[in-house]
Amino acid sequence: MVLNPQNEELRELTVGREREDGSFEAGAAINQTSLWRDAARRFAHNRAALVAMFAFLLMLAYVVIVPFVVPYDPNAVNFDIAYVNPTWTHPFGTDEFGRDLFLRTALGGRISIGIGFAGTVAIMVVGILYGAISGFVGGWLDNAMMRFLDALYGLPYLPFAIITLAIFGTVNFWTMVIALTIASWFTTARVMRGQIITLKENDYVRAARAVGARWHRVLFRHLLPNTLGVVLVFVFLELPGVVLGEAFLSFLGLGINPPQSSWGSLAQDGYTQYLSHPYIIVIPSVAIAWLILSAFFIADGLRDALDPRTESAA
Amino acid sequence: MRKPRFAWPLGLVAVLFLALVAAGCGGGGSSGSNNNATTTGGSAGSASGGTIRIAIGSEPPSLDPGLATDTTSAFVVLNTNVPIVYLGPAPDLKPEPALATSWDTSGKTVTLHLRKDVKWTNGDPVTSADVVYSWLRTISPQLGADYAYQFYGIQGAQEYNSCKPSAANQQCDTLKNKVGISAPDKYTVKVELTSPQPWFLQQLSHTSFIPVNKTAVDKYGAKWTEPGHIVTDGPFMLKQWKHDASLMLVKNPDYYDASSVKLQTVKLNIIPDGSTAEQAFNAGNVDVNETGWPPSDTPSIKNTPAYQQFPSLGIYYYGFNVKVITDPNQRKAMALAIDRKTIVDHITQTGQVPATNLSPAGIPGASTINSDKFLKPTADMTLAKQYMAKVSNPVKSINLIFNNAPGHKEIATAIQAQWKQLGINVTLKQMDWPQFLKFLGPPPDASVGVYRNGWIADFPDDINFLSIFQCGSGNNNTNWCNKQYDNLLKQATAEQDQQKRYDLYQQAEALLTGKNGDMPIAPIYWYTFAYQVAQNVHGWNTNPMDEIDLRTVSIG
Amino acid sequence: MLKFVVRRVLWTIPIILLVIFMTFWMMREIKGSPFRKSERAVPAAVLANLNRKFGLDKPWYVQYGKYVKDVATLDLGPSLVLRNQDVNDIVKEHFPVSAQLGGLAMLLAILVGIPIGIISALRANKLTDYIAMLFANLGFAIPSFLVATLLIYEFAAQLRWFPTNGWDTASSKVLPVIALSLGPMTYFARIVRGQMLETLQQDYVRTAKAKGLRWKRVVVVHVLRNSLIPAVTAAGPLLGFLVTGSFIIENIFAIPGIGRYYVISVSGRDYSTVMGITVLLAILVIVANMIVDILYGFLDPRTRDART
Repeated sequence: MVLNPQNEELRELTVGREREDGSFEAGAAINQTSLWRDAARRFAHNRAALVAMFAFLLMLAYVVIVPFVVPYDPNAVNFDIAYVNPTWTHPFGTDEFGRDLFLRTALGGRISIGIGFAGTVAIMVVGILYGAISGFVGGWLDNAMMRFLDALYGLPYLPFAIITLAIFGTVNFWTMVIALTIASWFTTARVMRGQIITLKENDYVRAARAVGARWHRVLFRHLLPNTLGVVLVFVFLELPGVVLGEAFLSFLGLGINPPQSSWGSLAQDGYTQYLSHPYIIVIPSVAIAWLILSAFFIADGLRDALDPRTESAA
Repeated sequence: MRKPRFAWPLGLVAVLFLALVAAGCGGGGSSGSNNNATTTGGSAGSASGGTIRIAIGSEPPSLDPGLATDTTSAFVVLNTNVPIVYLGPAPDLKPEPALATSWDTSGKTVTLHLRKDVKWTNGDPVTSADVVYSWLRTISPQLGADYAYQFYGIQGAQEYNSCKPSAANQQCDTLKNKVGISAPDKYTVKVELTSPQPWFLQQLSHTSFIPVNKTAVDKYGAKWTEPGHIVTDGPFMLKQWKHDASLMLVKNPDYYDASSVKLQTVKLNIIPDGSTAEQAFNAGNVDVNETGWPPSDTPSIKNTPAYQQFPSLGIYYYGFNVKVITDPNQRKAMALAIDRKTIVDHITQTGQVPATNLSPAGIPGASTINSDKFLKPTADMTLAKQYMAKVSNPVKSINLIFNNAPGHKEIATAIQAQWKQLGINVTLKQMDWPQFLKFLGPPPDASVGVYRNGWIADFPDDINFLSIFQCGSGNNNTNWCNKQYDNLLKQATAEQDQQKRYDLYQQAEALLTGKNGDMPIAPIYWYTFAYQVAQNVHGWNTNPMDEIDLRTVSIG
Repeated sequence: MLKFVVRRVLWTIPIILLVIFMTFWMMREIKGSPFRKSERAVPAAVLANLNRKFGLDKPWYVQYGKYVKDVATLDLGPSLVLRNQDVNDIVKEHFPVSAQLGGLAMLLAILVGIPIGIISALRANKLTDYIAMLFANLGFAIPSFLVATLLIYEFAAQLRWFPTNGWDTASSKVLPVIALSLGPMTYFARIVRGQMLETLQQDYVRTAKAKGLRWKRVVVVHVLRNSLIPAVTAAGPLLGFLVTGSFIIENIFAIPGIGRYYVISVSGRDYSTVMGITVLLAILVIVANMIVDILYGFLDPRTRDART
């Protein structure tokens, strides 16, 4: 949704990139290095994006490293140390079973972020394929596929994810990824179609077709690679949605099987005890917010970085 | 640029938001004030006079006595109708007169004599014809009533319920006429049972035996339970029903015992979420919290005078799939390794009783039935390990399934840790309800090693619990089948002498959970019912079958 | 324009059939039956009676055909779980509640979110902008269940300004509307700010300024008009989301809305209710999208041809 207005910018990124020898088919592979180097430079000058990147890496480091260094068993039950308020030995306190929440939040992060990335990638793949087919083939098929999207678009995604989970019968990492993908690929498909149509109208693609390049060659060599920038931005834009979706499902009690937990199921545990022990819901919620915010600012920074015009504005 | 004029609402929003965040952070320190709120809660904002406001956990799926299956529906149905009999006080729970003032039993025949002063809210008298009509309606295959099987103890009922109705097929009508229910006169109902069934009179207290008004049913069809359509005969009448939001009951002036009913109005607010219900009670928005609350809040609620707790005839247990965990010694080891007291003290927390046997402690005859106490409230890890050592091929990796309702996950987590000490790796599988039932069978899915389940009595006789584990019982999800056990229960069904029946029950119980038993299940705890009740509510009660009777409740 | 609308309407028919079919098929794939609600086993005869009563014993194409016919006659059938209600009753009773909740939340989101976005853009990179964007980003990032929980905790349980639950009095509607509006509000704020910033840099705005047109007029006429387009585009799908995606809010505040019913019906396997609500929502969303497209066409004539 957010990306639609940026179509124009992306067109500029892709226009007129023939190779020096004049062969059109290389349109994708041309001198992208300098483009990316420029982008990297612009990104490095964007303070908000840098802070977000740092925050994001910090979170990654937390979820990756902490389980190796914290000396507790994440699933051991010891009621004697239940509900310890945050202290130095238990920075985030313990839960009703006396399990260390600093550790469990890190492990939950692995699952939440893991589902987030896996879900995002799956959504991208499905969305790009659907969008690309729709946009590339065009005509009545495009129309039908888009009208179908319209109908699905506003349907609440939670029940669809719930139905999908119910069909699988059990909730684990991968069924969760699939459920979230089925529930939320629509936006990506729509944006990708927009991209493809914009690109399709471009001179170099027309030219490529005019010289008789086969359609799949045009698709895979020109169109898809040229959407790479959008894709990268989209990964970070989509990630928060997937993480939140997982959190909502877990919050409804449809999370992955205990004693494993994600941030969503930690928050669900916290919700049932927020009156007596409010820190248990606040910690995973803050973790979710942290991830979403950093992903969002990274996406923002990437988008600006990939757009040559923003230099003057920043 | 000039300063934009609309800056102030932005500031306001920002301030609000910061206040909100600050409130969230301050939450940890203010638990003391929260307790105060709990103490004073309820009375503060309560309405005056005879109006009581109760938070209930769900929309009643049906107020039709023939179709109601859940406790919320049963709560409303029971208080708007007159059951055939009421149940007396625990622990005996003897049948007491209601619509039936007296009864005679001889062998397989039960004769009920009805009150002559019970009136429908449309003015007509309630007669034996209403009872016969209603029962046959519930049994009929056309209605598709879940609780039709409550009537299967009556001659011909199961056959009639199982026939396939069609226009060309007159067979159903023939079968209908063969059902052993008849009305010799206007106020007498005669029932022919398939066997003596000493508990049948207590079973008649169940809401599915409550008569419905034929005129209303015929006139409005499935919609007859809506306010304005509904015709009942009990202490209260349904005045308003905002679906999924609230129900309003008012006192029925024509109820036969109206003078003893104290409440004028009952407002049932549907609040499914325990935290919200608790908050609503603490804020004085409801007088009774029937929905419940998150278990972690129990310690603080228990310290308030609002906390009320009642025993239940119900058990929470884990069943073993005996085709997966084949060795009784391993099942014994696992049952012994469960620390029931810890679960009750630290997880469920509302006064549940650690269950050493299947038959609840409150069931009539329990002291006899549960005399073989092999299992203890606490874990006996030493003995458990001894039994485990006897197992030649222990199953070390087991799937444990449970539904995703609140509370099950926590218990499973604790037991998983306890079984780990026996060297058993348990994988927890949380499922939504219909999915869970599918895996449960019977027979259970081959992947299921252990399942969570529970049972609340339909009627206060232990046969209701023990018959769960008969061979071929639809509720026996263990694959366990023991002819000796079935024979004992068969004898008990025909045994009129109470003590002898209890002895037979005892032998059956020992086959389940005794020292030399097969241990197809691991009992965990016997249920309790707990509520938050405001100080100005008097006479709040629940019988062990989770039936709440508002006739004796008053407020003010 | 007329041709465009007509084509759109005709397209909806096969799409709705497809949505019904997909939901129908997905519900069939789920294990479990709507007729077992408790631990108690239901005897085979009782199950057979129930299946026969609700036509679930028929082959799937017969069920599907009958269902499509019923939908065409605006009859969504009986609920399989709430035995005394039709799906039509359920929709009639609960949909207005969700629509009101979603509508009020949308209104609040627009009334607060768009001004925040505009101010933010006009004061770009100033303190006001930073505060506004901090709010917008936090509102976007903090999960709604935490917001709802904190609102109840502070304003209902502690301060007792509002009731904790329900949807009857005006004061009971305040907290859920705020909780639900926060997400879209911040969304509007961000999208409007971004679009404004971009428009402000466009040549024609610079030209207008250079030509000495009054600044206010430039903002109102040119910049706002062009910046609100994406907000309008977003509003359609968001409305669908608000009306039905409010399950968590409805659950926490015990609001009798359709969103909650939908999810309950899925887990209760109440096929007819799930399909009824799905079909209704699909129609609603298609109409909403159509209206948005038409609005879009008026705001930005360039798109009219491209979108037909």
